[in-house]
Amino acid sequence: MLFLNYIANRLLQMMPVIFGISLVGFFAIHLVPGDPIQIMMHGHASPESVAAARAQLGLDRPLLEQYGRFVMLAVTGDFGQSIVQRQAVGAIVGERVLPTVFLLSYSTVLAILIALPLALISARYSDHLVDHAIRIGGMVGFAMPPFWVGLLLMLFFGLYLRWLPVSGLGNDFADRVRHLLLPSATIALFLAPILVQSLRSAMLEVMTADYIEVARAKGLTPRRILLKHVLRNALIPVITILAVNIGWLLSGAVIVEYVFSYPGLGSLLVRAVSYRDYPVIQGLSIVFGVLVVIVNLMADLSYILVDRRVLKK
Amino acid sequence: MRTSDCTPRIKAWIAFAALLTAGDLLTVDIASAAAETVKRGGTMVFARPDNPLTLDPFVPNDNGSIYTLEQVCDSLVEADSTGRGLRPGLAESWEISPDGLTYIFKIRDAKFSNGDPVTVDDVVFSLKSLADPKRSMSFILKPVKSVEAIDDKHVKVTLSEPYAPMLSAVSVYASGIVEKKVYEADPEKFGTIPMCAGPFAVESNDRSSKVVLVRNPYYWDIAPDGKPYPYLDKIEMLFVPESNTRVLGLKNGDYDAISTVGFNQAKSLEAGGDLVLEAQPIFRLDYVYLNHSKKPLDNKKIRLALNYAANREAILKAVYFGFGELPNSYMPVVNFHSKSVPLLPYDINKAKQLVQEAGYDGTPIKLMVDTGNAPFHQIATILQQGWGQAGIKTEIVEFDVGTAFNMTQQGDYQAYVSYITSDINDTDELATIEADYNAGTNAFFTWYNNPQVQQMLKDARTTLDEKKRAELYAKVQEIVYNDGYSVPLNFVPAINGLHSYVKGWKQLANGWWWLQYVWLDK
Repeated sequence: MLFLNYIANRLLQMMPVIFGISLVGFFAIHLVPGDPIQIMMHGHASPESVAAARAQLGLDRPLLEQYGRFVMLAVTGDFGQSIVQRQAVGAIVGERVLPTVFLLSYSTVLAILIALPLALISARYSDHLVDHAIRIGGMVGFAMPPFWVGLLLMLFFGLYLRWLPVSGLGNDFADRVRHLLLPSATIALFLAPILVQSLRSAMLEVMTADYIEVARAKGLTPRRILLKHVLRNALIPVITILAVNIGWLLSGAVIVEYVFSYPGLGSLLVRAVSYRDYPVIQGLSIVFGVLVVIVNLMADLSYILVDRRVLKK
Repeated sequence: MRTSDCTPRIKAWIAFAALLTAGDLLTVDIASAAAETVKRGGTMVFARPDNPLTLDPFVPNDNGSIYTLEQVCDSLVEADSTGRGLRPGLAESWEISPDGLTYIFKIRDAKFSNGDPVTVDDVVFSLKSLADPKRSMSFILKPVKSVEAIDDKHVKVTLSEPYAPMLSAVSVYASGIVEKKVYEADPEKFGTIPMCAGPFAVESNDRSSKVVLVRNPYYWDIAPDGKPYPYLDKIEMLFVPESNTRVLGLKNGDYDAISTVGFNQAKSLEAGGDLVLEAQPIFRLDYVYLNHSKKPLDNKKIRLALNYAANREAILKAVYFGFGELPNSYMPVVNFHSKSVPLLPYDINKAKQLVQEAGYDGTPIKLMVDTGNAPFHQIATILQQGWGQAGIKTEIVEFDVGTAFNMTQQGDYQAYVSYITSDINDTDELATIEADYNAGTNAFFTWYNNPQVQQMLKDARTTLDEKKRAELYAKVQEIVYNDGYSVPLNFVPAINGLHSYVKGWKQLANGWWWLQYVWLDK
């Protein structure tokens, strides 16, 4: 019960956040110069037909009125119609959500798989040669632009070794996992160093705690201490960092989706912004908002898994 | 220079165009060569940069949509296999009244890809939909007064004034004939899966990364082997925006063909054994827009100085890697292009002299570039250097495409590195848009106002005498070019990469490809 209350509470807190996102998103894009009708007609149309098209879409109304209408419709689940595609925004944006969620989950899993063992080794052998090697490797991975890493991976695994396709989605789940290995690895190579770094320092801090001394005094093996006591307690700050970064990765995915021609939210956003397709941009800002909030909620829930005391606070 | 071999082709076209009378068009089908060796069937994977926003022919203005629609929707008249001439499409013939005001099209016995016959109702519906002033391309049918069916085979189009480009106008993608019943049932769905009578039908469309086209078994056009086009059973059209990814995918065999190869990567395809590089001139001109209403560009001498101080040879070499041709016009090479207008040469001394004569006060020119467009940024840098030598100060400013284009339209700019393409097979469209101050776009946002040019364009538009039109457009080209209308940079070709087993590839000058002639030799 306590648990359900907790979730309900968090979901309620989401509402004002998402409202705020929609408000900022709406005015930000409308205040940037550019007009979807003009861009679409590329200057070929007479001022009268531009005016007619604007009036038809309600773009000639005051901004506040336009925003009000958007909110009224949005609460009923209607996000309007794309100006350049003439199709429902819900459908256009909706079909892109799963691919991006899949890409990000895949990248996160990969990043954790890479980061966890490296962080354990790094913490266990801190200030040894292997620790330095991992940290320097991490710095290099973090510093390389994802755009470039993606191309390098493609060149090596796609063209020289011919192991993996360079673009596309794949048909079934296994094929999809294969197709998405390179884009996910590109994101993971960026995310993993952050995790290694934070997990390592959190573990080193926990290792100096009194209860670890106690465990050692009880005669537990270093291995058991590290996995059972140190890792578990070091995870909470790392989950926070991971959650913050996944939110941030949504924007990083834009570049990776572009390089790998992956049909996700990021590539849609790029196109919608360049056409000033207001309804699509508004729909996307809400979806991005919801995703970030959900990731944070999941982070909160996983604190509970790691440490039950969170519920009581 | 690589594309110098295009010169005879263009000359041939001009000679050929002079032969054409608007009433009887010749069909030139170079695709009929080598018919006996053609293998039918197979699937081609084709990667191109831009995905279609919608496949409703009356809505889009983006090449992603247009180039796909060209494979799917036939019009009354079609571009021929070079893109520089016309041939009958869903209209098997037509008659034009002597006053040029009435066109009667005879509709062919053709079928939509679902097997339904193409009727006069479908034709009337399609042309009327396009002519609706709220449609973005309605301007191409502006002189059309009425469209009506006179019997079950003939459609009559009445014009308010003679309109020489009429046949070209009903050949563009936006004049595609749609099945009325299917369109009216659900226009939104039509934008994803259209129903037309072109060589291919859309099997699936995920609206982002892939459109699958299948052979239209009912297609009306018969190949030399006695069976209808197209040769391929299926085309997987993939949308891969990043140029490096397309080239890598072609090399590792993911794709059979790619379009829009980056100039810097073209050489790497030439070196590969199994790959073929295909560069063809198209209706595109890269140029610097100049705003004549802003100081110091209101002075013709300054505009000419910018032209003389533009090192186009260097730009062609460094930015376009030799692909293209130095432009002798303010607009792309379309049917009435004149080869005889001399190029403005690269001459710093002449530019310096013009700057002095103009009494240039040192006002810097803000040269606008789209953010992230590396080639255009490189062009701006080369121009800045040359202009600096001539004594003109230049400041390079960057804005994202949407903002930059909006500023251009508002006249809130001085100079802008950009380009223009033509979809239509007639000089009239771009000549009017670019050089006619009264045509609605302030002479394509240059505020260029030359009454003599306006009169000549009006004469050219309303005469059906092809020879007279050619003379008038050549004169307009010479005047506008030498008025320093803009700083033309390069007639840019289209570059495709193919595996050598891809045969019958036809790049059209309009920018797209006739995929119905393609077959796979493997």
